[in-house]
Amino acid sequence: MSTLEILQDILIDEFDLTRERVAPDAELAALGVDSLDLLELMFKIEDRYKLAIRDDVPNDLTTVQDVVGFIDRLLAAQSKSPGSGAGRHTAT
Amino acid sequence: MNTRRVAVTGLGVVAPLGNSVEELCANLVAGRSGIRQLDIPRWEGLRSPIGASACFRGDAHFAASRLRMLDRVSQMALVAAAQAVAGANLDFSRENRDRCGVSVGCGMGGAESTDEGYHIIYAERSDRVKPYTVLASMTNAAASWIGIDYGMTGPNLTYSTACSSGAVAVGEAARRIQSGDVDIMLAGGAEAPLTFGVLRAWEAMRTIAAPDARDPSASCRPFALNRTGLVLGEGAAFVALEEWGHATARGARIHAELTGYGLTTDTAHITRPTVAGQAGAMRAALNSARLDHGAVGYVNAHGTATLQNDAIETAAIKQVFGARAYALPVSSTKSMHGHLLGAAGALEFVIAVASLERGIVPPTMHLDLPDPACDLDYVPERARTGVNLNAVMSNSFAFGGTNAVLIAEARDLQR
Repeated sequence: MSTLEILQDILIDEFDLTRERVAPDAELAALGVDSLDLLELMFKIEDRYKLAIRDDVPNDLTTVQDVVGFIDRLLAAQSKSPGSGAGRHTAT
Repeated sequence: MNTRRVAVTGLGVVAPLGNSVEELCANLVAGRSGIRQLDIPRWEGLRSPIGASACFRGDAHFAASRLRMLDRVSQMALVAAAQAVAGANLDFSRENRDRCGVSVGCGMGGAESTDEGYHIIYAERSDRVKPYTVLASMTNAAASWIGIDYGMTGPNLTYSTACSSGAVAVGEAARRIQSGDVDIMLAGGAEAPLTFGVLRAWEAMRTIAAPDARDPSASCRPFALNRTGLVLGEGAAFVALEEWGHATARGARIHAELTGYGLTTDTAHITRPTVAGQAGAMRAALNSARLDHGAVGYVNAHGTATLQNDAIETAAIKQVFGARAYALPVSSTKSMHGHLLGAAGALEFVIAVASLERGIVPPTMHLDLPDPACDLDYVPERARTGVNLNAVMSNSFAFGGTNAVLIAEARDLQR
């Protein structure tokens, strides 16, 4: 599954949306996803990809594709430096 | 002389005894208790795993995308407020919304969200606190959401005076209408304290009733010799308050007139009530209503079923009503719906208004063993119907000392 498809599935589940509405160019605000929703959504992304990202979410992500691009960039960075991202949310 | 009068034009409840005023009244008259064994996470760790929960699921009322922003306390508040708006037949698009406001009593805010956040941090040792935790748990969240839903741009206020918060919110809202600042206030209280952390903290204070071994629903026994403490409950109750002329001009049905509001503070100790403080609040309410105590036909007591409150409240009622106190029906409906903390005063005011309207006096249940120190007519075990009531009083007293008393009357109403 592509990053886009995974994100679309999460949006459909969590925000009562249809597949047609979550097209790549759809604006998050128009989907009812505000900045705090986006942060909570990142928990799901973290789980899916074993990433720890939420403190680094930029505030210029406005479309579905923007979020996909952000995640893909993090994944690319993570594959270059293994072990740097996963598990940061655990305080023990 | 103040000429602006306050009409109660709408009522709404989400409560242990029903999610409508009709259902609530039927259960009160039948003497049913909403107190039960709790089914919450970690209940085994409680000494008294009992409470009065509301039959309420947020997902029946709100989409998932909205639910994540709303603590249970705000969910119940929004639904109860919507009932009051619908019952009052209010259409805010036809109102000057700068002259419409919200007034909510709440003790603990979004307690479930607070509890959950701390659980994530301290128990799970994770830093994954939900981004909405602050907005869901802040004490004024319920009031804010109601204001947002109806676009009410006048005052939006939250009062937190512990167990009298709901009564203070209603009383202060009435004052704002009387002063001329506003024409309409949605006023009430909400509380959702049935989480492990909150229940355990209350238990630690030794004020929670021991569960009745044979029948958990009979654990709260106000004014009884064998009373052992209060039982916490959850819910929300709201009234639509409206300037009298404003209400009659639009042909609104008026349930009652809110005529009296009295406020005093006990300063002896943070938890210890005083006869003088409670009696003073009742007198202040009568004075503000310009009402002789002889007109009051029913008192919905604070009646927590703690050892201290019930005896003090009894003495205070005697001080205010004199010899007539013995013939005055006084009941504690907390015996059935438990103690809703910040929502208690609002729920009990709604019950007082509904009693006035219907000519009913709800009972004090589980009172088969009277305490000699509590020797008034507590309407034990059985409701009275067909009672002619002209004025009713609702008492709310609090930890922290804020004593609030409300009076509703049926004058100038067609019944």
